[in-house]
Amino acid sequence: MNQPNHTDLVFQTLASKPRRQIMDLVKQMPGCCVNDICEHFSISRIGVMKHIQLLVDARLLISRKPGRKREFFFNAAPIQMIYDRWTDEYSAFWTTQAVDLKYKVESNTKASQPQSKKPAAKAKPSAESKPKPATAKKPSPRKRQRKTVQ
Amino acid sequence: MNSNPDTTTQVTQVVINAPVQEVWDALTKEGEVLPHFFGSVMHTTRFAPGAPIRMRTPNGKYTGVVGEVLELDPPYKYSMTFKFTNYDDAVCIVTHELKEVEGGTEYTLTSDRIPVGTKTEKDMARGGKIITSTLKSMVETGKPTWMARFIMVIGNLFAFASPKKCLSSNWPMDKRIELEDQQTSET
Repeated sequence: MNQPNHTDLVFQTLASKPRRQIMDLVKQMPGCCVNDICEHFSISRIGVMKHIQLLVDARLLISRKPGRKREFFFNAAPIQMIYDRWTDEYSAFWTTQAVDLKYKVESNTKASQPQSKKPAAKAKPSAESKPKPATAKKPSPRKRQRKTVQ
Repeated sequence: MNSNPDTTTQVTQVVINAPVQEVWDALTKEGEVLPHFFGSVMHTTRFAPGAPIRMRTPNGKYTGVVGEVLELDPPYKYSMTFKFTNYDDAVCIVTHELKEVEGGTEYTLTSDRIPVGTKTEKDMARGGKIITSTLKSMVETGKPTWMARFIMVIGNLFAFASPKKCLSSNWPMDKRIELEDQQTSET
């Protein structure tokens, strides 16, 4: 994680919607296996596995094989280090205020006008799959994390 | 996958640019304020399987985490039972593993048997990434991250507000911190 290119690797790996969706899924299902992840995607198993391998290389996912099945866990440390690197006491306070406001206003706006343009944008992964983690889920954990900082 | 749906596992990992022994020493330092463990001090009778572990405030008055050593294989592995004193949640297992890799030492922090939906689960998730990134920063630069410094300051400021059940007098060294169901039978 110290090689100068590790940060590059983390950003490159994050710059992909399916990979971020895989991270969300693994975060929700700690210890899940490849099949659990594949269920949520319409792309081929090999395609999903390539994404998983990139995530493992960047250490955003940890893979373990205690028995016959390989299991995956989300590793928050690389993202924590990005946060540590570009944030300090002062910016943390003000950005938390601003970001919390953003989440609050946006959730109010969403509540008042239920049909937004979102659904069309995400047709890729199988439509009937579990609650999509990508949009709705994100704000709350982040908010919780930041709150504790103050 | 975890066979018990009521418990979960969390894994956090970093690569630290230092020899394995150096990381091990920083991780297992006794009697000294440890920024990576939120400014607490590790107390034990002797660092060996079965020995008690108590993470106490620098003045010793409060104890935040209690447990006992399950497995010890210096400088590669150390696992312990783990319980936050301010919650009445079940005891978990925390394992610290070090592995020599290209670029230094891979440090993996694994928390098993975390009761789902509890404050323990939340604190573990928040703690894991701060422990690993702070240990990395401490070993590589000698300084904790600002986040760890911040938590230490806040912790010291509010130590007086700790609940009574965190008082060290409630957690003597001879109090066993065992897993609730079947004990890990690795004997």
